[in-house]
Amino acid sequence: MSRWAGLLFILIGACLLAAALAPAADPPRRLPSAPPAASDQNLAVVVNKSNPVEKLSMAELRKVFLGERSHWPNGRRITLVMMESGQPERDAVLHMIYQMSETDFNNHFLRGMFTGEVFVSPKTLATPVGVCKFIFNVPGAIGYVRATDVDESVKVIRIDERLPEDRGYRLHVPPRPSK
Amino acid sequence: MGSVPLIDPLLVSIARYSSTLLLLVVFCVVTIVGIWIIRDLDTANLEVQRMYAGSVLGLHRIGELQYEAQETRRATFYALTTNDSNLQLEYADESREADRLVNAGIIEYLRQAQTPREIEIGNRLESDWSDFLKVRNEVLSSILEGSTKEAVTLDLAGGVQSFDRVRQDMEEIKRLYDEQASQRLANVVATSRRFAIRLIAVLAFTLIFASASVWAIQRSKMLAAIQFAELQVEFVASVSHELRTPLAVISSAADNIVDGVVDKQVDIRRYGSVIQKQGRQIAELVNQILLFASTRDRRSRYVLRPLQIPQVIESVLDNTSELLHDTGFIVERQIQASLPYVMSDPLALSQCLQNLIVNAVKYSGESRWIGIRAVLTDLENRAGQEIQIVVQDHGIGIERSELSHIFEPFYRSAAVSDAQIHGAGLGLSLAKDIVEAMGGKLAVVSEVGRGSSFTLHLPLAEERDLRLAAATIELPSDIQK
Repeated sequence: MSRWAGLLFILIGACLLAAALAPAADPPRRLPSAPPAASDQNLAVVVNKSNPVEKLSMAELRKVFLGERSHWPNGRRITLVMMESGQPERDAVLHMIYQMSETDFNNHFLRGMFTGEVFVSPKTLATPVGVCKFIFNVPGAIGYVRATDVDESVKVIRIDERLPEDRGYRLHVPPRPSK
Repeated sequence: MGSVPLIDPLLVSIARYSSTLLLLVVFCVVTIVGIWIIRDLDTANLEVQRMYAGSVLGLHRIGELQYEAQETRRATFYALTTNDSNLQLEYADESREADRLVNAGIIEYLRQAQTPREIEIGNRLESDWSDFLKVRNEVLSSILEGSTKEAVTLDLAGGVQSFDRVRQDMEEIKRLYDEQASQRLANVVATSRRFAIRLIAVLAFTLIFASASVWAIQRSKMLAAIQFAELQVEFVASVSHELRTPLAVISSAADNIVDGVVDKQVDIRRYGSVIQKQGRQIAELVNQILLFASTRDRRSRYVLRPLQIPQVIESVLDNTSELLHDTGFIVERQIQASLPYVMSDPLALSQCLQNLIVNAVKYSGESRWIGIRAVLTDLENRAGQEIQIVVQDHGIGIERSELSHIFEPFYRSAAVSDAQIHGAGLGLSLAKDIVEAMGGKLAVVSEVGRGSSFTLHLPLAEERDLRLAAATIELPSDIQK
């Protein structure tokens, strides 16, 4: 009995030690709790309607967004669309998909383009409407907008088998500040 | 003025019935040609409207279409000039908006296309434009992706050619519109020329026809005046003869009495009777002339009142009894019983009837029979009734060609003149004027050698006239009731 108690004590201690020794990361951001379905707190990943891709896993999405994948299955070149710096949607994507800071994101693409490891240079647009228009015009484009900003010109893909309105969807964005 | 033997009788007959007939013909011809010209004007107007709607507006539309097509391509190239994705998107929007307008223009053109050639060009343009848009979309996509070189390569490989085809299609449509406009303009010019020719023709025709009409009317009036003057001369001669004969008898009788050739009381009385008879004949002739003059001057005013026809006939027969007795005529009367009243002037109607009886006596030839019939009959249109007084003889009759002239004043047929039957040619004219002034009419049926039948048609007195007459003048008791 005392031997089992001793093992439990050692395990808890190891956990505490591991937590204490973990590398310092960016200050934790406060993520919104699970929002109601199809609200502006869900971030939809959108592609051109001609794109045959209907779903991606979070890992695949991350590869696409990191520029580690150059073409879609239909042969179209992937064009990544980002919103301008400072936009909540961009911040959410940096945090949830890239898991990088703004600086790390810029460095990643600079270094990747230089070394040839990254195939895609992100395009930066100012508004969700611009994002949708860009994706409408470019068959291989992929981007993100709030679920409420999605229009008929683009297609929303499933991430980890879930659409923005589904329970358990993982990509969220802080609500828009009220005017 | 020289006479035109063939035309003059026609002119006289035209003038006799109505000289305005010619003007009516002119009016009809001018109206018909006028309608013709107006139709030409309408056609030209319609052609101009079609030309404007079809060709001018069409050219305007194709001009806009060409501009928007250029704008579609130009806006795509503008996107090449910047790396700002937001600006590139604006250019892409401009290109797509222009492309939308071009599509709408093509659809509108196809909707209005009518000829097979228009439809064929429209379909080809639609297809070529669709091909161009496919290339444009790829170029636009490459530009937005940042692949400028690829965009230029794509455009050079497909965009230039496809856009050139579109441009050629639009040029062909433009040429088509030009051709249609030229054709329609030619139509308008042809219609205008036709219109001008017709207008000149109708004006010339009107002028010539109007001149001819005026000439014909003037000539016919002149001929009528000459004829009237001839009739008057003949009338004067006839009246002189009519006056001279009794005057000669009176003068001879008076000379015999004055010279003592006749001294017995019985002979003097007989001569006096002859003088009295001839004097009355002269007075009768003068009365006829005065009556005719008064009817010509429209000074004759008839006083209409309800009359019983049998009384009028009796009165006239009384007045002419001496003439009838002396000449040995038998008068056969058929007067229908209980004839209704007619509205008429008693003196005028008596004069009218007396003229007919005297004429029957004069033109009976060897026959010594006169028939007088008065009946109530239905009107021809069955809209009412009238009284007909028929004076019939079995005399010499009247030629068919003379029938239309016998009611003209001073007219005397050649046969009558040759037969030395005395008269002034006023009796029937007076009778006709009188009966027509009283709302009736005078008709004649005659056959040479079998006699003549003159019928007075007299309208019946209406209830209102009878009541009015009863209130104003003294009438027989049956009316007053």
